[in-house]
Amino acid sequence: MSKYLYLSVTPEALIASMLPPAEFGEYMATGTKKSNKGQMIFFEVDQDLVKDVVDTDYIEKNCVRHADGAPKHSVYLSVYRVLETIPIKALKNLYLTTDNGIVLELTPTPYDKSCEEKDSLHLYQELCPVTPQVASEFCPAAFVKALTDGSRQIKLPKLFFVELKLGELAANPATGSAEHLPYTHVRHLRDCLLSLSGYEKRMKTVVRSYNGTLLYRSVASGFYVGSGDELVYYRYPTMSELEEINYDFLATI
Amino acid sequence: MFSLPGASSFEVYAIWSVLLIAFFGLGYALLLRKQVMACDKGTPKMQEVWGAISEGANAYLKRQLRTIVPLIFIFTIVLFFSVYIVPPTESSKLRFVGYSEESLKLMIGFGRAVAFVLGAVFSLMVGQFGMRMAVQANVRVASASRRSFGEALKIAYRAGTITGMLTDGLGLLGGTLIFIIFGVASPDTLLGFGFGGTLLALFMRVGGGIYTKAADVGADLVGKVEAGLPEDDERNAAVIADLVGDNVGDCAGMAADIFESYEVTIVSTLILGVVLYKTTHELSWIVFPLLVRGIGVLSSIIGTYLVRGGKEEKGQNALKAINKGFYTSAAISIALFGVVSYFYLHDWRSFLSVVMGIILAIVLDEITKYFTDGNYKPVQEIARDSKTGSATLLLKGLSYGFEVAVWQTVVIALTILSALIIYAGQPVIYVLYGVAMTGIGMLTLTGNNVAMDAFGPIADNANGVGELSHLDKDARKIMDSLDATGNTTKAITKGVAIGSAVIAAVALFGSFITDVSNVQIQLGFEKSQQLTETGIRISAPMVFIGLLLGGTIPWLFSSLTINAVTRAAAMIVEEVRRQFRIPGIIERTVKPDYQRAVDICTVAAQKELIPLALIAVLSPILVGSLLGVEALGGFLGGVILSGQLLAVFMAGSGGAWDNAKKTIEDGLYGGKGSEAHHAAVVGDTVGDPLKDTAGPALNPMIKVINLVSLLAAPVLIAYQKPGQISVGLVITGVICFVIISLAVMTSKRGGLRRAKKLE
Repeated sequence: MSKYLYLSVTPEALIASMLPPAEFGEYMATGTKKSNKGQMIFFEVDQDLVKDVVDTDYIEKNCVRHADGAPKHSVYLSVYRVLETIPIKALKNLYLTTDNGIVLELTPTPYDKSCEEKDSLHLYQELCPVTPQVASEFCPAAFVKALTDGSRQIKLPKLFFVELKLGELAANPATGSAEHLPYTHVRHLRDCLLSLSGYEKRMKTVVRSYNGTLLYRSVASGFYVGSGDELVYYRYPTMSELEEINYDFLATI
Repeated sequence: MFSLPGASSFEVYAIWSVLLIAFFGLGYALLLRKQVMACDKGTPKMQEVWGAISEGANAYLKRQLRTIVPLIFIFTIVLFFSVYIVPPTESSKLRFVGYSEESLKLMIGFGRAVAFVLGAVFSLMVGQFGMRMAVQANVRVASASRRSFGEALKIAYRAGTITGMLTDGLGLLGGTLIFIIFGVASPDTLLGFGFGGTLLALFMRVGGGIYTKAADVGADLVGKVEAGLPEDDERNAAVIADLVGDNVGDCAGMAADIFESYEVTIVSTLILGVVLYKTTHELSWIVFPLLVRGIGVLSSIIGTYLVRGGKEEKGQNALKAINKGFYTSAAISIALFGVVSYFYLHDWRSFLSVVMGIILAIVLDEITKYFTDGNYKPVQEIARDSKTGSATLLLKGLSYGFEVAVWQTVVIALTILSALIIYAGQPVIYVLYGVAMTGIGMLTLTGNNVAMDAFGPIADNANGVGELSHLDKDARKIMDSLDATGNTTKAITKGVAIGSAVIAAVALFGSFITDVSNVQIQLGFEKSQQLTETGIRISAPMVFIGLLLGGTIPWLFSSLTINAVTRAAAMIVEEVRRQFRIPGIIERTVKPDYQRAVDICTVAAQKELIPLALIAVLSPILVGSLLGVEALGGFLGGVILSGQLLAVFMAGSGGAWDNAKKTIEDGLYGGKGSEAHHAAVVGDTVGDPLKDTAGPALNPMIKVINLVSLLAAPVLIAYQKPGQISVGLVITGVICFVIISLAVMTSKRGGLRRAKKLE
């Protein structure tokens, strides 16, 4: 039976499993007893590209069938600074799991540079290795570069984040309608966005702590993982696309 | 057999034609049944799921029958002997000339008892057959959804139409048959017919309401909230009970509810029509309402048959097709009413009253839609308030619930005013007749309305069958779309059900006044002492006390039904949790014991029937025997007003909270899992027992109280001499008080026992 290697980003962990992605996501989200539930976002990792950073012998030895023949669900390999150690090129598809175990698969797509030509603001939820919510003037590529190229005092080795919807606030933070935004802190968000104009500041922390649950309907362009000039983009489908691609996922979010 | 002095040959043929139309309606239902049953039932897995739903539904129906039959037996005997307390009316003597007093009593007593059984059995048939048909249809709709949207829509709607045509056919058959046999004496027996139908509707509504919400709330709280299972997950032990509950509440309960409104409006119209016939010697007062009903059945047949969808069409078109059928029926009805009025009545007043009824139904639909549909401001505002938490969402929902009750009551008041204008300058009996004709008009399209309502649970269950048997994405998209349409049609018909209940109750109230006056005339009361002359004066302290007491009854009823739902839901929660702990259920290697959850809901629902029925039946007797017949009139006024306001308020708030949640689930404010959604779930959970249990139970309750008052009024007048105290009545009142107290305690005791057990 195949063995898989997964990089979980919420919470950060490297896990080997005998379950394919959809089953692994369901298992991680709901367990075997259904006594708890929780959202899960993870990458599949190309095992051939991480041989030098992952203990493959340990996987071979421990990720084996149970005595009753059941596949091994999870073998934790690391729970600390995982994203930092896995090369970006080893990250394959990204999987989003709802809290009741429905999994959506996203494949890497070319980065859409058109956003760089627009004069609009952005809202990012950083997901790994740190988790603040940040408002920024930067487009995704510039944002990840700013935080990972070492030019700032606070720097990260890599960053995985998602762009969230801002609606009219993206172009007009002062008077744009926030009617349909799902955030409970709209007034504060507006202040943060306003603070980006007319000052040196290009980024502003909106929320310091992340509650571990991402509202999938609030995702804008999609998910990004990168370091310096290297960026991989996972485009998030529109709702009508989602209806065709994965109806169960749409019905759950 | 049919004998009415002064009847023209047209009128005789018309009456027989109406009877034929009733059979035609029933034949149409049979034809549709054959069509639906000929459709395939899908894969073995689908049939397995359907088998479990079918088994649960049968268990409920059997248990309900066991609870109800003894009560029907007791009431049949009571109704038979009721004629021995007061002599038969003058109308009965007129109809059965030459018979001795004893033979007359025997005939009327027998007729009333048989009519009661007929009403009860018809109501039971509508509920039970309708529900069985819905269960038969759900698997066939699920199977058809694998092929095309149009086919699935057609099967679901036609299966719903079967219940609609049963309601139409049996309602028309019963009323017409009684009129043919008893002629001018029919008011004596029609009361039994109406009471039978209403009492059974009360049972179906209360039982169905408690069952459906106990199963729904219980299944959702553990399955969806605690364990994170999707809707209709096969590992949830309450999933089959939940699916059965949709049929029990929205199909059996609603069909029986509308059936009794249909019955009661014809009963009150015929009672008032007979009074007018005796005054004017024109049979049209009786024949026209029956013709209107017959035309309604025919136009419903045409309109419902037109409902179909194309192969590639989507949900929005389903509603369009259903509406097209409804408005076609309405247009045909109005045109034919006009023809009959022009050629037969030569008088447009009754026609105008009937048209006002149709307009009232449409306006009530629109008001309900405005306050409960996600496309309009109220629901959007409620959804927006979810962003600031459940408290603001609840407050906004309450606010709109109060408002919808105001507007619906104002519209009903204006409709009654229209009867006053149409019959301006005529004695009050004409106005009351006009109100009753409005009720007849309002329920003209009962076939369409019940079809629309029954379509809801059929589509909902089909979706459940599809989910549980893991049908492909395209089939489930079709079923999701039909389910969403069904939610809308269900909400719309609720507005009509409540509105028609109030109009029927006002018509019955009119019958109460005329009936009391008739007995007063028979007992030799002077004209100035008769109720039609004195009216019901709320300035009289006794009447005001009656009014206040009447106002409390719907609140007591609602309190007990909501309490029962909470209690039963807690039992379901424990049962589902217990089964989750059984090894293998979560892993899908062991099948949950669905029957156990079905049994819990069934027993919980039936347990409440007797106490609540006793409250509805005995409270008017208590007030009438201790405070007098005029106070009983005040009591009825209180029940109607408070019941109407409360029922609409609960349906409005509950429906608005429900749709606010659905709007958010469709993606507004972050969708499922957002803070807004959490708040909306609280609103929906609070609103569910309001809109689906307590609110709907008030419709038949109002009419049971009115009909019992009508039946009891002659006895009360006969034994209540002015200025004297009747020991017999005081003892009766005290006995009623003791039984009602015991009923309330019994209903609440379950709650106390439950609390102790949980401790």
